[in-house]
Amino acid sequence: MAQTTHTGTGAFARAKLEENDRAIKLFFIAPAVIYLLLLSVFPFIYSVYLSLYDAKLTRMDRKWFVGFENYERLLSDPLFLKAMQNTAVLTMSSIILEVVFGFLCAKVFLSLREMRTGQVLRSMAILPMMITPICVGLMFSYILNPTLGIMNYLLSGVGIEGPSWFGNPTFALPTVIFINAWQWTPFMMLLMLAGLVSIPDSLYEAAELENAKWYHIARYIELPAIRDVILIGIILRVIDNLKLFDLVYVTTRGGPGDSTELLTFFAYRQDFRFFQVGYGSAAAVIILLISIVVTTVAVAYLRKVEK
Amino acid sequence: MKSVRWQLIAAFAITFVFVAPILWMVLAAFKTINDIYAIPPVWVPDFTYLENFKLLLSENWQFLLNSTIVTLSATALCLAFALPCAFGLVYFQFGAKNFLADWILSTRMMPPIAAAVPLYMVFNGAGMLDTMPALVIAYAGFNLPFAVWVAMSFFRNIPKEIIEAARIEGCGWFQTFRLVALPLAKSGIATVATFVFIFAWNELLLALFLTTREAKTFPVVISSFSTVTKTYWELISAATIIQILPPVIFTILMQRHIVSGLTMGAVKN
Repeated sequence: MAQTTHTGTGAFARAKLEENDRAIKLFFIAPAVIYLLLLSVFPFIYSVYLSLYDAKLTRMDRKWFVGFENYERLLSDPLFLKAMQNTAVLTMSSIILEVVFGFLCAKVFLSLREMRTGQVLRSMAILPMMITPICVGLMFSYILNPTLGIMNYLLSGVGIEGPSWFGNPTFALPTVIFINAWQWTPFMMLLMLAGLVSIPDSLYEAAELENAKWYHIARYIELPAIRDVILIGIILRVIDNLKLFDLVYVTTRGGPGDSTELLTFFAYRQDFRFFQVGYGSAAAVIILLISIVVTTVAVAYLRKVEK
Repeated sequence: MKSVRWQLIAAFAITFVFVAPILWMVLAAFKTINDIYAIPPVWVPDFTYLENFKLLLSENWQFLLNSTIVTLSATALCLAFALPCAFGLVYFQFGAKNFLADWILSTRMMPPIAAAVPLYMVFNGAGMLDTMPALVIAYAGFNLPFAVWVAMSFFRNIPKEIIEAARIEGCGWFQTFRLVALPLAKSGIATVATFVFIFAWNELLLALFLTTREAKTFPVVISSFSTVTKTYWELISAATIIQILPPVIFTILMQRHIVSGLTMGAVKN
């Protein structure tokens, strides 16, 4: 530290320097904090405020205080309840698929990690996760299209008549889940690969000496070793799935009927299609509350792993 | 040796599953409309057929340009705020440090839809709806928590002794930041920048309600090619190639950093 400790004016100079130092520190940190306050905290609080009003986006000068009426309406609105249910089903099923297939893929690429071919294949297999979500949605709309899609053409080759994947209420949500899992399995795979690589060879050798089967190795060596990584992955995926919008926006738009209605999509439509911003904000606040619960757990957990 | 062969076959199968859908869309971009609708499908198109691209760009080049300008500016703005803050959160000693870092991380988890209406109203009030600066401000802000956290993990990797040495030599915090920390964290900063770029480049929700005509971004345009009555596959496929090119290049170049990037430094590989 550059501090002056001369006699007499020393203490004063130091105090002055420290004050200066504090101003500089503030200058580093404050702008980002203020930016975040203005851009996320303020809007979130304002959303909570709006959710207590009956308001229309087109006539914001006239709004009525209605208390918790929007919330009461939401909790008896079949479409919203369906959106909750769909979001929960989507989140859980896609994460299960991502973890299971991610683990299998990670095992395959783990054994090939010293091999050039294995490395090249791995870097190709991870392409889906960074690709623009709307492009992923459109890609699969094209492939699964009942009239011109290649999927049903290939299925007809083996004698199966493919359904209208997005148009049939039974298939629509599973199809969206499958596409979501397709895009994010590589992410889980990479995460688990990063964890698996750190397992020392000696553990595998010991297991081999004891004639352990592969599922013993998975259960007692590999899964415990990558538990943290899997949990981080799951937390991030839960948070992202609560926000899922793009994929549904370009494929099903919530349909057919309400079969793929999701929370974020519901709020978006209330706000910007029907202009019911009080009602839409209430829905957004509920999403926010769920996110806060997940986030609190997540932040505590990430902090623990940091250390 | 036999098991390696099976592993290789499995690896090829996995890669096929993850690449084939992308490839099939890429092929469609070089097909005439008739060929796109043909059943049985036309497997290999004539790659010299570029009409789809010409048609797409002749009408929409401006929106591609919008996307590029907005994304680059948002990345720059985001880094300008995030880097000093990350540096401070790593090297300064003060009481609320951990709390502040956690708070910043928690804002990353917030759903953008919960900020949608207030943002719309503020930008509407400021007469900034359908302008690129509005998008830049929003994108830089929403990526700020992510950028701060990942940048922190990179600053933390700089040996503390180097920073201390610079301080003892009489460097102020500004000089230490600019002349010591930034050059040492260069590759990390490049990673943060690329991630922010890709997130902003891929974004749809905010662009949908903040823009209407002039400032539309490319994803908004692409989503408008699929309407209730007609879907323009020839335009969608060509636009998809252009749209996914930056993320694809990034994934190939920076795959070492993807895991630590997407988990905000919690997992390293």
